Amino acid sequence: MPEPILRAEGLSRSFGGLKAVQDVSFSVEAGEVFAIIGPNGAGKTTTLDLLSGLLEPSSGRVLLGGVDVTRQPTYRRCHLGLGRAFQVVQPFPEMTVEENLMVGALFGKPGAPATEAARRVEAALERTGLSHLREAPVEDLNLLQEKRLEIARALATEPKVLLLDEVMAGLRPAEAAQAVELVKQVNAEGVTVVFIEHVMPVVRDLAHRVLVMDHGRELARGTYAEVTADERVVRAYLGDPDPEEA
Amino acid sequence: MDLSLLPQALVSGVLASGLYALVAVGLALAIGVIGIVNFAHGEFFMIGAFLAYQLFVSFGFDPLLSILFVAPVLFLIGAALYASTIRFVLKAPELNQMLLTFGIGIILQNLALMIWGGDPRSIGGVPYRAVGLQVGGVSVGLVPLGSFVISVLLVGGLYLVLARTPLGRAMRAVAQNRVGAGLVGLEVNRVYLVAFGLSALLAGIGGVMIAVIQSPTPTVGLAFTLKAFAIVVLAGLGNIRGIVSAAMVVALAESLVATMVPNGDALRNAVFFAIILGTLVYRSWRRA
Amino acid sequence: MRGRGLWLDLLAAALFVGLLAALPGILRGAYGQASVSYLALGIRAVGLAVLALSWDLVARTGQLSLAHAAFYGAGGYAAAVLLRLTDAPVWAGIPLAGVVAAALALALGGATLRLYGIYFAIGTLAFAEVLKTVVKSTPFAITGGSVGTNLPPLFRPQFVAGAMERWEVAYLRNQGYFLVYLGLLALAILVSVLVQRSRLRHAFTAVRTNEWVAGVMGVNPARTKLVAFVISSAIVGMLGAIEAHRFGSVNPDATFSVHTTVLALVTPIFGGLYTTVGPILAALVLSGVEETLKRTLSDGYLVAYGVVLVVSILFMPRGVMGLFRSLARRRRARAAVGAVAPGGRDA
Repeated sequence: MPEPILRAEGLSRSFGGLKAVQDVSFSVEAGEVFAIIGPNGAGKTTTLDLLSGLLEPSSGRVLLGGVDVTRQPTYRRCHLGLGRAFQVVQPFPEMTVEENLMVGALFGKPGAPATEAARRVEAALERTGLSHLREAPVEDLNLLQEKRLEIARALATEPKVLLLDEVMAGLRPAEAAQAVELVKQVNAEGVTVVFIEHVMPVVRDLAHRVLVMDHGRELARGTYAEVTADERVVRAYLGDPDPEEA
Repeated sequence: MDLSLLPQALVSGVLASGLYALVAVGLALAIGVIGIVNFAHGEFFMIGAFLAYQLFVSFGFDPLLSILFVAPVLFLIGAALYASTIRFVLKAPELNQMLLTFGIGIILQNLALMIWGGDPRSIGGVPYRAVGLQVGGVSVGLVPLGSFVISVLLVGGLYLVLARTPLGRAMRAVAQNRVGAGLVGLEVNRVYLVAFGLSALLAGIGGVMIAVIQSPTPTVGLAFTLKAFAIVVLAGLGNIRGIVSAAMVVALAESLVATMVPNGDALRNAVFFAIILGTLVYRSWRRA
Repeated sequence: MRGRGLWLDLLAAALFVGLLAALPGILRGAYGQASVSYLALGIRAVGLAVLALSWDLVARTGQLSLAHAAFYGAGGYAAAVLLRLTDAPVWAGIPLAGVVAAALALALGGATLRLYGIYFAIGTLAFAEVLKTVVKSTPFAITGGSVGTNLPPLFRPQFVAGAMERWEVAYLRNQGYFLVYLGLLALAILVSVLVQRSRLRHAFTAVRTNEWVAGVMGVNPARTKLVAFVISSAIVGMLGAIEAHRFGSVNPDATFSVHTTVLALVTPIFGGLYTTVGPILAALVLSGVEETLKRTLSDGYLVAYGVVLVVSILFMPRGVMGLFRSLARRRRARAAVGAVAPGGRDA
């Protein structure tokens, strides 16, 4: 059994008295699409932050390709192949789309010469359909374009694992469909995807396996069908209609 | 280290803490209520000192009396500054605000330099200046004692205003939730105006008192801005209630270093700055 | 394409510096004795440009440092103490100043890595004041205590009767200093251009925009910030040493005066941050203005800098260069968006 490409072991994180994440463990196989869902405040983004190194865990380990990266700073994890796209896009201002991608292309892997970086930028622009906007200042992009940019920036670092945080937020159904296509394509090219999502049809469409979190703990795991059939999961989304109809 | 000096050091420290708290609480008000870190705060203090000096020299006003004049003038200056410049950067990045107030501070300091020159000015001929009491081997100057009492009254008064009056409640509401307060109908801008004016007023009164205790120069503003920062940072930015204890800690530290440590008097200013730097750095590494 | 940009910039810089190097001779030929004071003004302008460029470098990583005066003073004192205590050659103080300032910056930068925005500014300001007070309290034998100490000048032109006029001694001295300042400016420009035209530009901008997003993209924020801080401080330190020689002395209050920091930050903000031309342009303009003001206002002429700062923040937050850039950007933006479907929304 090959080593999972990403593994969380007993991750915990508290903020003062608040236990945001408690003893969360899971592993992600290379090439799969793994979803983390759960009601608001479940600790999903915190988990992602722990995985990327933006937060230090109170206890537990993060392993990337079998390597313990728990003590590694964020940029080191990027070099090892961990990419991240944020929910609220923060493009680098006063730069074009192309220049924005350059950062990841140049620094995503140590010691990349300019030609190699240019190639990565090209590839990322292609994959996200932004080639025709390469010269556009980022201030002029609409929301869907911004989301593509966010994914493109992560792709420019040539990640093996891509962490996505609620990419669909704010997108209209037609736009969301395109975003889903993009993620499928990226996955088809060999990138493992771990994503947080609230929009259930998207999860159903994309995810091979799902982890449900609630109050910082794991609530259930399995395929989409399995977890949505789980009573506890339905109850956790108390007050929501049947997730299928969301 | 001469332990017999300890009681005197402690008493001096306590007496000084009143004035420091007065200056710092104005800054805390600006930061907490308006959200602006006012690098020019010490200049209000300096203006108060020099106004008192000028009133004394030109009209023979007793400094205690000039407080009645300085207070409203400083309030107006603060309000005018808010309305003409500060108001416009409240939505701008924090660093723009910092630079703006820094610039205002430079302007005020240098205007004072142009008017009064760089030499120290003291309110020398005040009768009660050299009067002191002897309490059990410790000498307590009347003026430091007086300024301590006045400061305590003013700071206490401010706390009362914040806790009991509609204006105070408005300020606290705005401090906690800017948007919410506006939605509920509070005229946020007017609250800001008053708060800023108040912060200038409090610092100005502190300045009047220092003019009698020391001989200020126009550059004293920056030093007191930093002292106020030390206290505010120690208490935690925006924490108005913690100012009193923080001021006590800082004043005692300064007094102890000045009295007990050899060559301490030269180092007394470094105490404040070391506290700022130390607190900030320590807290930043602990947070992670 | 970036490669071409770099060489073009370097060429322009070399031309600029070369022209300036010829300036003393030109002034002397045109104005004779008056050239001495013009050169003095030129020295101040170049010095201000160095200050501005070095502060801008640190600002590019998002750090608004108020410790500039500390490194300037440290450099001045490094040279002063070296020459006071040893028999080192006069010029040895300058590289030492750079090293000392750089070491200080490494220490301060390392300690303040997790301080941001206002906290960083306050912390650096506090550091500068601590350093001033500490130097004031050092033993007289080493630093001259609160009184300070003298430094030998860098240039001691000899008066040769019959071969030159008296004022030419002053001219030669000013010319010497001008060229030394110019050398430092060349270094500062080189660094500024290199950063702007290399991958460092992306690293700096990324860290400035959002340190965590930068990290996620593989940029090491701590190292980036430290590099900028250390290089910038080395340059300011050397400036401090050169100026100390020119003024002939150092003392804690003047050498560590917050004025230096004020000049260092107002100039690039007025001229336009994150550019090379902005700080230089602003330095030329502001030192010219300052000269006029000093004659009329003497004590409080710095008030003009305060006004410039306030006006810049309120009306020109991107500085003079920013005005040009927003025009250029709007032109570019119109062209790029035109390539997209009408209405500007991509499908």
